[in-house]
Amino acid sequence: MPSWIGQAFRRGILTSRFPRAPASREEVPETSRPPVLPPGLERIAVLGRAADDCPTGAITADGLYHGRCIRCARCTRQGFTFGGRALANASRPEDLYSPGGGPLPERLGPAPLAGLGRSLQLFLVDAGSCLACNREVLALANPYYDAARLGITFVNSPHHADVLVVVGIPTRPILEPLRRAYEALPGPKAVLAIGACALEGGLFRGNPGTQAPLYETLPVDLFVPGCPPSPLDILAGVLTLAGRMKCLPGVPA
Amino acid sequence: MTGERSLSYLPQDRSFALFTDHLARQSVRGSVAELTGQDLRVARNWRSSVTEPWVLELGEEVEGYGTFRFPYGPFSMGVPEAGTFEIVTYGERILEVLPGFGQKPRGILGSLPGLPLEDAALRVERLAGPYSASHASAFLFATEAAAGTPLPSLEAHVRAVAQELQRVYNHLHVLARLAEAASQNVGQAQTHALAEDLLRLASRHFGHRWLFGALLPRGPSRHLEPSDRSGLARSLSGLGARFEALWELFQGSRTFVDRLQGTGRVTRSQAVMWGAVGPVLRASGVPWDDRLRDPSPPYRDLFLPLAHQSEGDALARTLVRVEEVRSSLLLLEQLLDRWPGGGTIDPAPAVAPGRGLARCEAPSGDLVWDVRVRDGKVLEAGFRSPSQANWPLFALACRQSVFTDFHFTLESFGLSFAETDG
Ligand code: SF4
Ligand code: SF4
Repeated sequence: MPSWIGQAFRRGILTSRFPRAPASREEVPETSRPPVLPPGLERIAVLGRAADDCPTGAITADGLYHGRCIRCARCTRQGFTFGGRALANASRPEDLYSPGGGPLPERLGPAPLAGLGRSLQLFLVDAGSCLACNREVLALANPYYDAARLGITFVNSPHHADVLVVVGIPTRPILEPLRRAYEALPGPKAVLAIGACALEGGLFRGNPGTQAPLYETLPVDLFVPGCPPSPLDILAGVLTLAGRMKCLPGVPA
Repeated sequence: MTGERSLSYLPQDRSFALFTDHLARQSVRGSVAELTGQDLRVARNWRSSVTEPWVLELGEEVEGYGTFRFPYGPFSMGVPEAGTFEIVTYGERILEVLPGFGQKPRGILGSLPGLPLEDAALRVERLAGPYSASHASAFLFATEAAAGTPLPSLEAHVRAVAQELQRVYNHLHVLARLAEAASQNVGQAQTHALAEDLLRLASRHFGHRWLFGALLPRGPSRHLEPSDRSGLARSLSGLGARFEALWELFQGSRTFVDRLQGTGRVTRSQAVMWGAVGPVLRASGVPWDDRLRDPSPPYRDLFLPLAHQSEGDALARTLVRVEEVRSSLLLLEQLLDRWPGGGTIDPAPAVAPGRGLARCEAPSGDLVWDVRVRDGKVLEAGFRSPSQANWPLFALACRQSVFTDFHFTLESFGLSFAETDG
């Protein structure tokens, strides 16, 4: 007689060792890492060509703004590689800018929720996403990531939440509900913006009916770039907010 | 017009669906002129001249003593997407559910005209991430039909692999959400884990968990080398075995089966009248699947057992999905085994303007893209997604159900608000 318990045991332990050990390549695939221009290339010429090619305007003649990058890999034709620092995030959009297209400097953001101890409640709101970001956030609950082992759980009401996790580009009709959801969070609270859409609008920046960037509507505490960011990117973001990322473990090369 | 007593579903939608259904009887893809035997202007006029909205009238009993309207959303528990529902009720029983699409539109369709195909494809993929392969494939097939570009079979093959992978992923996701609604915690966790396995396979072999950038106008980014194919085939057979073990447990769970049985029923005549698509249609006794009618390779040459049920309830829809997980795995096995030779696509853009139409069977049903192109740029584009087709059926299925059925009905339909973006 087969049973659920037996089934679960047969699968064995799936759960990631992150953040105790660095993330693996499976967990943070190449396309979840930021593009970077390896040293030794003719920077000005490469940046110029890549700027023409980049569909989001993330690359300019002077550098690369990771807040806009959707990881489409088009700049790899010009010599960029997806070798940037894994699990990068920032508390100010300007910290996601890398002049000359080099790697992002390591910066640990301030931790607005450092006083909350080991329990964090997340409330997910969709401002206008393609659903991939939503599912990557909710993937934290699956056995591979099992965020509950770190005290991180999802709640069904903003009244019980510590962190407002926002995905997608804000559309005009969602602005008011967004503000109300933010107000409903008891303090201390934080806003986590997930994905290119929630940063600067990603590919949809400037579309009629949308109102990017999100940080003009809500006080965003941490930005997690990517399209979509991998679940561990998101987990690293949550832990950064709580001051529980002592260092930023990268991906083994 | 969203009046007090009615709800219109995307004005041009119904007409478009009828039009494409008419085309579907003749072929699956091609340029519009070819398909209809009419010139392009007729086709265009036809679309713009039909302005009558698709209106779902509220039932009789909706107004009466003690009934009230209960807004649900946009950040509602259990619906991880920004959509609203207006529920008409007098308490326990749901008299009517009116889904609202106002919160989500990101203006994607409107942003496509004028874009080079390559840029447009990136936006099309991101219309609905979990269904990116279907949207990208249908969009690309339509542009190729419009431009008259001959399609090497390798391209179609890679697109089919991507679509079938995503179908398995999405069906597992629906199963996991149903398990969650029925408080089957172990089942839910294990099914989510299987779905995660599929995302990782996609990432390993196509370079992206959600297959973004995997299918492009210039040909897929990766062509699945022989080592990839054997690795993928091995992983999938292991996954199939784990799925069977899991499903056996679901089947044996009285709670799970009881919650689904009789919930959110769609009758055969409703399904036909309202133009249901996908598992919703097949679960209501209509054995229709676009893949079986595809006259071109690879689907033409593959063995595909058609899943269908006749009960029309959430259980029937789930059974159809389970069958489709199996048949997709079988298709993948055949696809990976019979790999075509040949080169990639010739990216020379057709200069003459053309309009093309393509449909494919997305995880939640028939998806149609209709694109006009010139000089490698999009002039105009439209689509009819399975969600757009199935939302009215959802509203019908909710009539006279109880509150606790709501999530089961919703999840078993596998609908998304993102796909209604006009
Ligand atoms: S990967 Fe990012 S930086 Fe490179 S072309 Fe795409 S959007 Fe631009
Ligand atoms: S950032 Fe990318 S994955 Fe996330 S919602 Fe936007 S388009 Fe989708």
